[in-house]
Amino acid sequence: MPLPSGRFRVTAALLAALLVLFVAGPLLRLLLAASPASLAAAATDAELRASIGLTLLTATGATLLALLVGAPLAWLLARHRFRGRALVQALVELPAVVPHPVAGIALLLFLGRRSAVGGALAEAGLEIVGHPAGIVAAMLFVSVPILVSGAQESFAAVDPRLERVARSLGDSPSRAFRRVTLPLAGRGLLAAALLAWARSVSEFGAIVVLTYRPPVASVLIYDRFTTDGLAGAVPAAVVLLGLALLVLVALRVVQRGPRA
Amino acid sequence: MIRLVDLAVGAGGFRLEDVSLDVPPGAHAVVLGPTGAGKTTLLEAVAGHLPLLRGRVELGGIDATRLPPERRGVGFVYQAYHLFPHLSVRANIAYGLPADGDGRRAARVAELALALGITPLLERGVAGLSGGEQQRVALARALAPSPRVLLLDEPFAAVDPATRGALRRELRALHERERFTILHVTHDFAEARRLADTALVLMEGRVVQQGTPAEVLARPATAAVAAFVRGDAELRAAGEEVG
Repeated sequence: MPLPSGRFRVTAALLAALLVLFVAGPLLRLLLAASPASLAAAATDAELRASIGLTLLTATGATLLALLVGAPLAWLLARHRFRGRALVQALVELPAVVPHPVAGIALLLFLGRRSAVGGALAEAGLEIVGHPAGIVAAMLFVSVPILVSGAQESFAAVDPRLERVARSLGDSPSRAFRRVTLPLAGRGLLAAALLAWARSVSEFGAIVVLTYRPPVASVLIYDRFTTDGLAGAVPAAVVLLGLALLVLVALRVVQRGPRA
Repeated sequence: MIRLVDLAVGAGGFRLEDVSLDVPPGAHAVVLGPTGAGKTTLLEAVAGHLPLLRGRVELGGIDATRLPPERRGVGFVYQAYHLFPHLSVRANIAYGLPADGDGRRAARVAELALALGITPLLERGVAGLSGGEQQRVALARALAPSPRVLLLDEPFAAVDPATRGALRRELRALHERERFTILHVTHDFAEARRLADTALVLMEGRVVQQGTPAEVLARPATAAVAAFVRGDAELRAAGEEVG
């Protein structure tokens, strides 16, 4: 659609420019705040590298878990009308609107050693609170709405009659899903997983309640800010920003798809 | 052969009631009726995509009432083609054929592509195909596994008159050669007269008349069928005047 003309367009462009400046300004300022020497030091900072490694590992684990449990739910929500569907949909979206420290406290009460679930898991050898599993749980909790919503949209965009044609051509439901639904929804699923992964990497509030140590990158940056001020926090923050930019580029590539 | 006995189907708020039909092996039956009469619902119930509330479906002499769609031996062609957009024309046609090592799969694809005049399109994607080309691919795909029954849901409604005529001829030639049984939804009486041996008129989810297409046209059983027949004739006359 062409841009509207005249005064309206100029006003819209000015407001848009303000927003772009508001988003880009702080990020650019952050990039400029890090000296080459401090970045070089950050590259060899063992604690920072360990926390970034932990962040990448736990975020990947949380995303894989979110895919494992979230994609089937997204498919059910996209394809079937069932009793309680609206309630399930609302419950899955709830973590997106709950303040993250509140999510952390809720998870602590549910998965802590003194809770029934946390106690049973600990008995089975899986410690959650204060362990990397707690980081994964917090990341999963806050990122699963993004994954389910994106995956649901992707599945809903596949015409169910394509699956019906595949069934009539001899496919079982699972084979039709594998040969038709998954390839057609795949790009959307991958984009949803990337967004969920990025959301996990950026999480702080829930993680800090559940597993403060070992620190993920966001916790480490906060730690350094409170102990060493900006000078301590900026190099690590720049590294994390670079990581976020990489995810953004990957997302755009996935969304654009191969050139025709 | 298709035998439907007292079929009742619910789809959303719509109900199809008391549908009975006998189509002999190799015959071509049309289901006529206005939009919303339940024609597509009937086809989807026969294909096993909608659960029955009541009744029995027999296909090729086998009670298929409880069989899943993949075991009914039915080919389905929708009006809007529904080709698999991530696959080439060749892969679309071969979709329902088992993988083999002796070239039978490739031979069947080549045979159908030749019969429908789409051999030059085989290696293309489906995105840039015309409506007629897409419908030919959809027809070839449905026929590739040699189904006992072919279900057609207004397959020629979305193509231009010249292509429609060519597609009808190609379908008739394939039908004469392979003798599958056809259940064909249309609201075009001319199409019904040219292609079908028997016709079923559905209105508001119920069968209101059965007979040959000529009988239905000459002696409508109810005022509603008469109005439907008249409306179709007027529509065609108007179309011919404009065209």
